[in-house]
Amino acid sequence: MLFAGLKYFVTEAVMGLWRGRRSTVLSTLTIAAALFVLGVFLTVAANLDALVERWSAAAELSVYLQDDVSLADRAEVQRALRNHRLVREVQFVTREQALGRFRRDFPDLAPAVADAAAHPFPASFEARLAGEAPGGDGLEALAGRLRKMRGVTDVRYDRLWLQRLQAIASLVGWAVALLGAVLALAAALTVSNVVRLALFVRRDEVEIMELVGAPLSFIKGPFVVEGILQGALGSVIALLALFIATAAVRGRLASAAPGLIDAGSISGLPAGMAVLVVAGGMAVGCLGALLAARRLA
Amino acid sequence: MIQIEGLSKLYGRDVFALEDVSMHVEKGDFVFLTGPSGAGKSTLLRVLLCQDPPTSGTVTVAGRDITRLTPREVQAYRRTIGFVFQDFKLIPRKTVFENVMFALRILGVPDVQQRRRTFQVLKWVGLQHRANAYPLELSGGEQQRVSIARALVNEPALVLADEPTGNLDPDLALDIMNLFREINSTGTTVLVATHDRELIRHVGRRAVTLDHGRVAIG
Repeated sequence: MLFAGLKYFVTEAVMGLWRGRRSTVLSTLTIAAALFVLGVFLTVAANLDALVERWSAAAELSVYLQDDVSLADRAEVQRALRNHRLVREVQFVTREQALGRFRRDFPDLAPAVADAAAHPFPASFEARLAGEAPGGDGLEALAGRLRKMRGVTDVRYDRLWLQRLQAIASLVGWAVALLGAVLALAAALTVSNVVRLALFVRRDEVEIMELVGAPLSFIKGPFVVEGILQGALGSVIALLALFIATAAVRGRLASAAPGLIDAGSISGLPAGMAVLVVAGGMAVGCLGALLAARRLA
Repeated sequence: MIQIEGLSKLYGRDVFALEDVSMHVEKGDFVFLTGPSGAGKSTLLRVLLCQDPPTSGTVTVAGRDITRLTPREVQAYRRTIGFVFQDFKLIPRKTVFENVMFALRILGVPDVQQRRRTFQVLKWVGLQHRANAYPLELSGGEQQRVSIARALVNEPALVLADEPTGNLDPDLALDIMNLFREINSTGTTVLVATHDRELIRHVGRRAVTLDHGRVAIG
């Protein structure tokens, strides 16, 4: 009986959407526009999070060595790093490995350093830090001590600006959540108005159904399904537009700044989030329809 | 079947559509509710359909006080009775078959049984050949017969009809009344509101006369 009821609701809903197709198209496109904007922000946030994660996984403290550093001095630097409480892991990167990384990350610029013997990339120690460096003071002291050691040309650490980047990413996340709530409300009100219009146009029919004893759920059901379908359709259109837009942006970046920006690292909306967008669209459509149909209670 | 005690319906401050109406209809009866226009016939039927709540009094149908029902209970109650409207109240975008079958669909009757029973009832009112027509394609008499079919398809114990022949010519009106007589002969209680005295005389059943909202002849 449940299946028969659902089949009736869906059939009636599809017929209702078709009959009022002009307003259906308008409301669906409105929902699509709102979800597209949300999708853009979600994609930016996802990419930002991925970037922060990648950079966090990379070296947080780099100690660059002179080309002619002695083995003893090199070992001294390594010991100083390994024994420090802030350092979790130490890795030595040879000059050749540094060159290989450059060629991998910037393939278009690789010909500029074709001569493997004369490249400018020094050997280095890359250290990953343990937990949050409190106030950065410990790092400053460590960096200062390392700079004074024989064989060391430079010390760089990215922790502070990485923390700033994480804070920005977190802020973007909050902005996305707020924007999402506002857009969801706008979409729900749009669907609500369309369903309200449909109820008004079909008020005689609704009255007849009430008078012959149709349960309220029976009367409301098709309208709620209409709202869900509009939300689903709107979110699918939004995702398609987002997919096209992401591909276009990747193409643009690849041609505008080849070799400098890895366009391939820009990802579209993660699959899990895409599913959430569709589910969210359907939920918003359902909510809008329930709001409009509550006067039937 | 129907017990009405001291029923009053006040509109505004001083307009009594019904005033202290009491009447009984036994199970299996065929009763006419008559009186001039504005007597309160339609108001009484609207109260019986729970479309208009009474101002005072009690109305009991099949042992149940219908003046105290919740909205959900009202819908459930309406599914147990058949109501024939003066203006037919057919859903224009549904075919004759779908209009009648709707009354079974809302009861959750299985699809196969819905179709079988709908066809049976349409055959009984003589409209099986018009099953796929839309209401606007039908004559007044045909639309009223569809309305009657919808009222009967769920085999109710009580059928209420509000001026069912009001929009029809005399010959058609008689045909419709004959249908109601047939319905009644199966044991269904029938209450018909009409101002047509000739029709009442022809059918020859008990009539309750309302005048200015009061029972003149019970």
